[in-house]
Amino acid sequence: MTWHLPGDLVERYAHGRLDSAQVMSVESHLARCPLCRAAVPYEDGWLAASWERIEDLVDRPRPRPVARVLRRVGVPEHVATFLAATPAPARGWLVAVTGVLAFAVAAAHFAARRTPDTANALIPFLAVAPLLPVAGIAMAYGRHVDPVYELQAATPMAGWRALLLRALAVLSCAVALSGAATPLLPGPPGLAAAWLLPALALTAGALALSTRFAPPVSVAVLAIAWFGAVAAGPLLADDRLLAFSPGAQALYGVAAPALVFLIYARRARLDPGGPR
Amino acid sequence: MTFPATAPSPAPVTATVTIRGLTKRYGRAVVLDGLSLEFGRGVTGLLGPNGAGKTTLLRCLATTLAPDGGEVRALGLDPSDPGGRTDLRRRLGYLPQSPGFYPHFTVFELVEYVAILKELTDRRKRHREVRRVLRETDLTDLAATKVRKLSGGMRQRLALSQSLLGDPDLLILDEPTVGLDPEQRMRFRALVSRLGESRTVLLSTHQTEDVAALCERVIVMRDGAAAFQGTPGGLAATAAGQVWLSDHPPAEKGLFWRTADGRYRTLGARPPSGVPADPGVEDGYLLLLGEGAGGQSDEPPGGSAGESGSRSAGASDGGEGA
Repeated sequence: MTWHLPGDLVERYAHGRLDSAQVMSVESHLARCPLCRAAVPYEDGWLAASWERIEDLVDRPRPRPVARVLRRVGVPEHVATFLAATPAPARGWLVAVTGVLAFAVAAAHFAARRTPDTANALIPFLAVAPLLPVAGIAMAYGRHVDPVYELQAATPMAGWRALLLRALAVLSCAVALSGAATPLLPGPPGLAAAWLLPALALTAGALALSTRFAPPVSVAVLAIAWFGAVAAGPLLADDRLLAFSPGAQALYGVAAPALVFLIYARRARLDPGGPR
Repeated sequence: MTFPATAPSPAPVTATVTIRGLTKRYGRAVVLDGLSLEFGRGVTGLLGPNGAGKTTLLRCLATTLAPDGGEVRALGLDPSDPGGRTDLRRRLGYLPQSPGFYPHFTVFELVEYVAILKELTDRRKRHREVRRVLRETDLTDLAATKVRKLSGGMRQRLALSQSLLGDPDLLILDEPTVGLDPEQRMRFRALVSRLGESRTVLLSTHQTEDVAALCERVIVMRDGAAAFQGTPGGLAATAAGQVWLSDHPPAEKGLFWRTADGRYRTLGARPPSGVPADPGVEDGYLLLLGEGAGGQSDEPPGGSAGESGSRSAGASDGGEGA
């Protein structure tokens, strides 16, 4: 090497006062000149932090697609990463939800062609849609459904925080998918959306029951009760849509926040190490 | 490893974990039966046959299972109180007996996921911590490998690495050396003994060799209660005068096995032409469990306590490991 960096240039480089072209030129020289490299002042802490930043850039995993979407809508990075780590059964659930909704929409159209009463044709869809988020919750968190449960259960996020975050994610997915399917249904739009409040109430009910029983048991109990309620309409009031009537909707509207309050009051019971 | 017959009495400990009258039932099976014990900083070994209640005890301590009764104080915190439980989890590392994983995750992603659950919310700090624990367990080169492609030993190291996140004050390890090859076991011992210098480590194992090599204290569980608490030397000393070497197998029933040099090691009554031998942790353990009265084997137990005898008593742990 026949020349070396002038002292003032080294100082300006070290203090970050060079433009990018000059930085490239200086670093090209530094790469080949040990004498000039030795002349560049540095702090150990700064060097360690720089290496760490480089290491982080090189080997950090690429965020999962779901995490990237969640980040874009403003979800904090660590929450997005947590929610994107959806167990495999939940992916199966997502596929199943899409399939069930497609089938229910097709069935509604088929029934509407055979009967002038399109409202009746909507019953299968209305009966199934509220249970979709509830089924997802059964697979969201628990000793027998999540392979990493035992590891999670010993962390500060265990219990209600993890369960409610996942339940919220499941509910959002199910509502979005059911909402997307609703305009495709025959019949009055207002009636086609009559699944929404029952879905919210049943989801809150499943979580509230989970403070006493395992989520899969809670969901099974609620599903049986819900189908019973839908089937009871024609028997009790000769109204096949009784479970979706304005009176029933008001009931769901009151029940959902009341159940949310109950979940909050009993949240310690969602903790694996807490009382049951 | 053998110990002199007159082993020192247990060194006084400042207890960081105290358990009083702990009970747990699964249906009608009593798994923990008024268990009381205490231990402090350093590595404490937990021995016991299958079904003795070891895993249930560890799960109660790790706050993944609520006991039916009794008191637990760990690091000065009460896990029966929701706030105390969460605070304890912040200072806890736990390696369960059969840890599950998401097979489609990479090693880095899996450890990062647990780091998020441990409230390491800042990405840069979290990644630094993930890299640190992967280095500790020699998994750096496998960081980008999918969990489903890992061998059993690698998975065990992965499980161990997540337990080290956050530099926990209390480390609970349930059979951590299962699946590790001899070299990995040596490295594991070095790591755990280093961790035990400044932390409380509870190590459940069937390997009496690990206890003899690593632990300052040992607890032996039987039928949901503590049958022994003390030093490994103290446990070995309980077998003093009951360990014999002879050229022929004993005529009477008793636990004996043929050693590598062709002699017979007998526990219990002195066999004809038997000469006294220095007792080891395993001898004390087997005699404590009453194995010396009836079981017999042509093979040495090989340091795998609880596997050599077939008369291990105790209630079932509800099918989830005991």
